[in-house]
Amino acid sequence: MAIEFKLPEMGEGVTEGELVKWLVKEGDSFTQDQPLVEMMTDKATVEIPASNAGKVVKLIAKEGDMVKVGQTLLSMEAGVGAVVKPAPGAHASPPPASPSRPAVVQTASAAPVESIFPPPAGAHVLATPSTRRYAREAGVDINNLTGSGPAGRVTREDVVKASSGPMGAVSMGAPTMARSAMMPARTPTKALPTATVMGSNTEERKPLKGIRKKIAENLVRSKQTIPHFTHVDEVDATELVAWRAQMKEKAAEYGIKLTYLPFIMKAVSATCREFAMFNTALDDEKNEIVRKHYFNIGFAADTPEGLLVPNVKNVESKNILQIAKDISELAEKARQGKLAPDDMKNGTITITNIGSIGGLYATPIINPPETAILGVYEIVKKPVVINDEVQIRSMMNITATCDHRVIDGADAARFLKKLKQRLASPQSLLLEMI
Amino acid sequence: MKTFDVCVIGAGPGGYVAAIKAAQLGKKVVVVEREKIGGVCLNCGCIPSKAMITAAHMFEKMSSLSEIGLSASNINVDMTKIQNWKESVVNKLTTGVSGLFKMNGIESIMGEANFVSAQELELNCSNGEKEIIKASNYIIANGSRPIEIPGFNFDGKNVLSSTEALTLNPTPKRLVVIGGGYIGLEIGSYLSKFGCEVTVLEANSSLLSGVVDTDCVNVVARKLKKKGVNVMLGAKAKGYKKVGNDLQVELQTEKGIQTVLCDKILVTVGRKPNSDQMNLSKIGIKVDQKGFVVVNKQLRTNISHIFAIGDVAGQPMLAHKASREGIIAAEVIAGKNAIADYKFVPAVIFTDPEIASVGLTVEEATQKGFEVATGQFPYAANGRALSVMDAEGFVKIVADKKTNVVLGVHIVGYEASNLISEAALAIEMGATLQDIASTIHPHPTLPEMMMEAAEAAMGHPIHIFLRPKTDRAARPTTRNAH
Repeated sequence: MAIEFKLPEMGEGVTEGELVKWLVKEGDSFTQDQPLVEMMTDKATVEIPASNAGKVVKLIAKEGDMVKVGQTLLSMEAGVGAVVKPAPGAHASPPPASPSRPAVVQTASAAPVESIFPPPAGAHVLATPSTRRYAREAGVDINNLTGSGPAGRVTREDVVKASSGPMGAVSMGAPTMARSAMMPARTPTKALPTATVMGSNTEERKPLKGIRKKIAENLVRSKQTIPHFTHVDEVDATELVAWRAQMKEKAAEYGIKLTYLPFIMKAVSATCREFAMFNTALDDEKNEIVRKHYFNIGFAADTPEGLLVPNVKNVESKNILQIAKDISELAEKARQGKLAPDDMKNGTITITNIGSIGGLYATPIINPPETAILGVYEIVKKPVVINDEVQIRSMMNITATCDHRVIDGADAARFLKKLKQRLASPQSLLLEMI
Repeated sequence: MKTFDVCVIGAGPGGYVAAIKAAQLGKKVVVVEREKIGGVCLNCGCIPSKAMITAAHMFEKMSSLSEIGLSASNINVDMTKIQNWKESVVNKLTTGVSGLFKMNGIESIMGEANFVSAQELELNCSNGEKEIIKASNYIIANGSRPIEIPGFNFDGKNVLSSTEALTLNPTPKRLVVIGGGYIGLEIGSYLSKFGCEVTVLEANSSLLSGVVDTDCVNVVARKLKKKGVNVMLGAKAKGYKKVGNDLQVELQTEKGIQTVLCDKILVTVGRKPNSDQMNLSKIGIKVDQKGFVVVNKQLRTNISHIFAIGDVAGQPMLAHKASREGIIAAEVIAGKNAIADYKFVPAVIFTDPEIASVGLTVEEATQKGFEVATGQFPYAANGRALSVMDAEGFVKIVADKKTNVVLGVHIVGYEASNLISEAALAIEMGATLQDIASTIHPHPTLPEMMMEAAEAAMGHPIHIFLRPKTDRAARPTTRNAH
């Protein structure tokens, strides 16, 4: 007898999600905990696992549908001896329910210099050598594909499909944002430029869906409702650079790769305490400004699927090492597409860092309902006049982009002035250390 | 100072292939070789040993043809002629490689190379000149050398490495081989066919330990015994001394200290990478605990413009692995997104009979969590095998019982080395048992056994009878039908 499988709870406060992709077909058998469907909630992609073994009778919801918690996703027969078909996997899955799946084979130990993108095909991947090569050249990670051929063999067509689909296109095109010391180190992936599969003068269309769609919606809403303005200043980071160089080894003893970002976060949380309007939310519906007494500082993480903003919770009560650890864990999760909705919820202010790519400064868009986003940029040595003498100092531009409904220009100027004092003398943080 | 796009150090099967590939891809290439073009493989490894094995095999065959009605008398072994012929085979190949260098516009320099920095290489050329050259990319392909053990220093006279053993003339009367790995067994076997009394000392409890399918090893071990090769397992060689004209080898066994008399001692206990040369450590090239240069899947070392391939860059130390790595390194240097993503490196052992294998053994597959289906087909049930009078051995296929995907193939028997490539292709292509069974294999040929073994793994081979039962790996009953 067919029973209905309904969309389960996907996290606190999440009431609905967009069905991104079915991971099973009608007629497929599945085991308990096997991921059935990929849902997009808030900003994370979540794989919904089967609560018990069964067989798909009919897929009721369609890809692209908005599905509410409790709404029927599919009808199934329970308890059929399951033929396990490997899930395409590798996208986000909530940590507790992640299906057991052979890990992607990577020779971490044998990769002293650079890791390679895409990673080599794992032992479980069935594909001819020429298909593996083709996938590599198209920038498609063959480990993530579900083969349509016999015994789950990945065919050339599967790769073609993946390389023109939304995920493939991202991994193929955009150079991944390189990260400087500002961000947790991530070995640069080197996808060599490859000739496009199709001839010139052609166009390609793909649906705006998944994370990309969510990003688009959020940004349009932010830019259309919030009157943005940006204040720019310049920080003398010479001492910060020296301090970090000095502390790096100390942090390494704890197994932590110390970057500038934890320090900047700490300085921001201290400064936000003095300028409360920077750590607020504007509740549009109730016309209320919500002052937050906790400091959950978000940072922009560039992932193969697009921009995500996880946040470090309660920066005010953590030391720099703890913050560094949180950042690197969140960044790793973001990179693997494993951020949970909670990782991205309840942020109070965001920092974006474009330092390693370069440029003078940018005017980022606020992550609502927050009211400010700070930008930090490349640290470069510049001639600076100090006491009528030209000295070489490590300088960094810094911006505060604010919601003018809540924050005035003079506030932004004062805020940045105070923040830059803190950044200019790292020792000052000692006074406020928790 | 001369500058190049790519400098390859070592002209063995890794280096020369890398050089040619890099040149094909438009690079200006130089190869530095301190001994001989072709490296160990062509000059004192794969090629000359196969020539000697063939000569010994033919001699043995000629002497045993009376049962099929052919008799020959006065079969002489002229070792000098055999050695000359072997050298001519080697020369044909090495001059072929030199010719390919020229045709591809590759400069080759004879001499020893040492890094003076990560950018520059000092050459002590064989003609006495010194030179410093510079290349944008380096490929280290300087190979490996035989391991020496305490008490048995190679002297080229009493204690030999494989290199000298291949040039033995005349054949010694008695030989002790220390190390029952594939090199020792290959050389020991052929010398035994030329009339040498061979004793193999192996410290482990089995020959070819840990390398291949144990059923395959057993076939070879039986044959060695039948041919009068004395194999001593669990025997550790301690040292030797000269007693009159004899060499007395002392060994430690379970039964205590024993001695064996012989004329020559061959030490084949393995090879070690040449990572301690060329100033590699001085310029900061990372080496692992076993002495292999650490590389990633694109064969890049920790110094990103320096690559390492072949024996110096890790196990298995096989020529064909080195060649493939050479191609990958050259392609990466030329900007292609190549990678070492082959599933397995096939291995062949030219014992009598030959062993060849690719992929997982039953034990390995079980360990990895596969429910395993195996199919075995004996040479004795194959028409071609009988008609060439080599009916020992079998083909064994290991597959995933759930999907029938082929995981490994292990062959022991005549021409196993030439049969394994089909298996390697099948595994790389992700073939299932049906794929192999449904491919028509021409009759009467040895590869039919592959098709039959695949059928056997699924329970229904034509030319052997398997009683219907759950254990598919059970020994088949042979019915000769050709």
